[in-house]
Amino acid sequence: MLQVLFNSLVYASMIAVIAVGVALCYSILRFANFAHIQFAVVGGYLTYSFAAIPGLPLPAAVALSAVATGLIAILVDILVFSRLRDITPEGKMIVSWGVALFIRSVVAIIYGGGGRAFDISSEAVIVGDAVFTTLDALVVAVAAVLMLLLHLFLNRTRIGSGLRALASNADLAVTRGIPGERLIRLMWFLSGALAAIGGTLLAFETRLQPNMDLIILLPVFAAVTIGGLSNVFGAVLGALILSFAQNLLIYVDFGALVGGDSWQIPTQFRDYVAVLALVVVLLLRPRLSPLAGR
Amino acid sequence: MLDFAIYCLTIIAVWSVLGLSLNIQFGLTGLVNFGQVLPFGLGAYAAALAAQAGLPWPAGAALGLVVAVAVSLLVLLPARRLSQDYWALITLGAGELFRLTALNAPSLGGADGLTVPRFADPHLALGAALALMAVAWLMSHRIAHSPFGRLLKVLREDEVLAATLGRNPVAYQRTVSIIAWAMAAAGGVLYAHIVGYVSPSSFTVTETFIVWTALILGGPGNNLGVVVGAAAVQLLSVSSRFVASWIDLPADVLANGRLALFGLVLVLMFLFRPQGLVPEKKEVRDAQRR
Repeated sequence: MLQVLFNSLVYASMIAVIAVGVALCYSILRFANFAHIQFAVVGGYLTYSFAAIPGLPLPAAVALSAVATGLIAILVDILVFSRLRDITPEGKMIVSWGVALFIRSVVAIIYGGGGRAFDISSEAVIVGDAVFTTLDALVVAVAAVLMLLLHLFLNRTRIGSGLRALASNADLAVTRGIPGERLIRLMWFLSGALAAIGGTLLAFETRLQPNMDLIILLPVFAAVTIGGLSNVFGAVLGALILSFAQNLLIYVDFGALVGGDSWQIPTQFRDYVAVLALVVVLLLRPRLSPLAGR
Repeated sequence: MLDFAIYCLTIIAVWSVLGLSLNIQFGLTGLVNFGQVLPFGLGAYAAALAAQAGLPWPAGAALGLVVAVAVSLLVLLPARRLSQDYWALITLGAGELFRLTALNAPSLGGADGLTVPRFADPHLALGAALALMAVAWLMSHRIAHSPFGRLLKVLREDEVLAATLGRNPVAYQRTVSIIAWAMAAAGGVLYAHIVGYVSPSSFTVTETFIVWTALILGGPGNNLGVVVGAAAVQLLSVSSRFVASWIDLPADVLANGRLALFGLVLVLMFLFRPQGLVPEKKEVRDAQRR
């Protein structure tokens, strides 16, 4: 049971760091940005490239990758989304897929189709009958610190309250003299940088491959949806709930429960839990109805 | 060379059917289906499973249509009452689940997929594809110009307005989805018999966005636009093979370059020509009369 807790925390950490960016973007620009997933992939690969520079320590490579990916996110906004502020949310969603398709393909062209792994030494730590690695602990710690910093930034600084004002009522915020477009650029930088770190953590735990995006697509969007799309820390909670549900369902021996042979849900089916959670949440939230006022 | 041209036309016709199906959903009704590959895949796998069981092709076609309609109702269950963001997420998730199921279920052939008997005569395949495209076109046309279709456009522009006219948006969306998904499933059945095998890698999110690219490029809401878009995208796909043989590019770079181009086309169309190459004709009725 302790093992479920450990596994869930590690997985939730990686998903949460990526998912908060989707929620940030949704809260201010009101559309689901599918290109966000690609920022995580780009970040992972950039960390890999920066880490290859001799003499550059890994944390510095991660920081460089975060800054670079944040700038790429701003660039995407300048080139694409800033010109499309007034179109429908559906239109923006479709455009974000176009951006995603473009970024994904360019990454695949540059880095090729093979997988790449980071060479990170890590030791196993045994607690009772459960095991985690020092890398796992690092991932959880990094995610926790990032979420804490984001919380402090959004709730304790002037710029953070500007962002929150923009999210709750953009017109009013701009009328009151909050520099809307500049804060939107900042939001893109933050989302991109966080996604890059999340993608890097994921690459540390697994490996880099071009179809990483398909692996995290459903969990990330399920987590954000569970949290209510525009709620930044709801996305963190969503990631935790989703991760626990997934790991618990895979852990439980359903065969033994009904008194038969041992049978567990194969791990490939964890994405079903993501979609199922999404469906359940949507069924239970009638107030999301378009007719009940958005 | 003639054989190749016939193959190209066949493929364009099949993708046009998919595009027309998406056009009824998005162009006409405003439904954002990010899982358009799902009914397509269901049709293709139904055809393959029926063939594996030794059944004749009409059995596979019937199975494909029935399953696609049943699944569309199932997907609609949580998606109804929801705004388009959630609609997009649900359809996207459903499409991915289908791919994962096909990948992981041994009875569906896993990653290797299943083989399907191919059309003996490529002319016959072309004929069948063109016939299906004609049927899909006529259906779309009839729907778009019927009172039902006009209400769909009202629904697209303003759901609340449709509701205040005493119409139930959910019932309309359901009817549209059933028709459109059956259409895409028929395209899938045909696709399976043309290509000769089905595998999970043919039904990824990317395929959905190739259909979207065709629709946005051609012009949402316009049948001719959809076919023009599908033809442009598929010809681009095919011709990139020749480009590769001239400048000697590795196959995977080429495939990715093509996808990057599709993504770029999608974005550029939105930026510079959102109405598409062949824009929808706006109907003006009694607007000038007092």
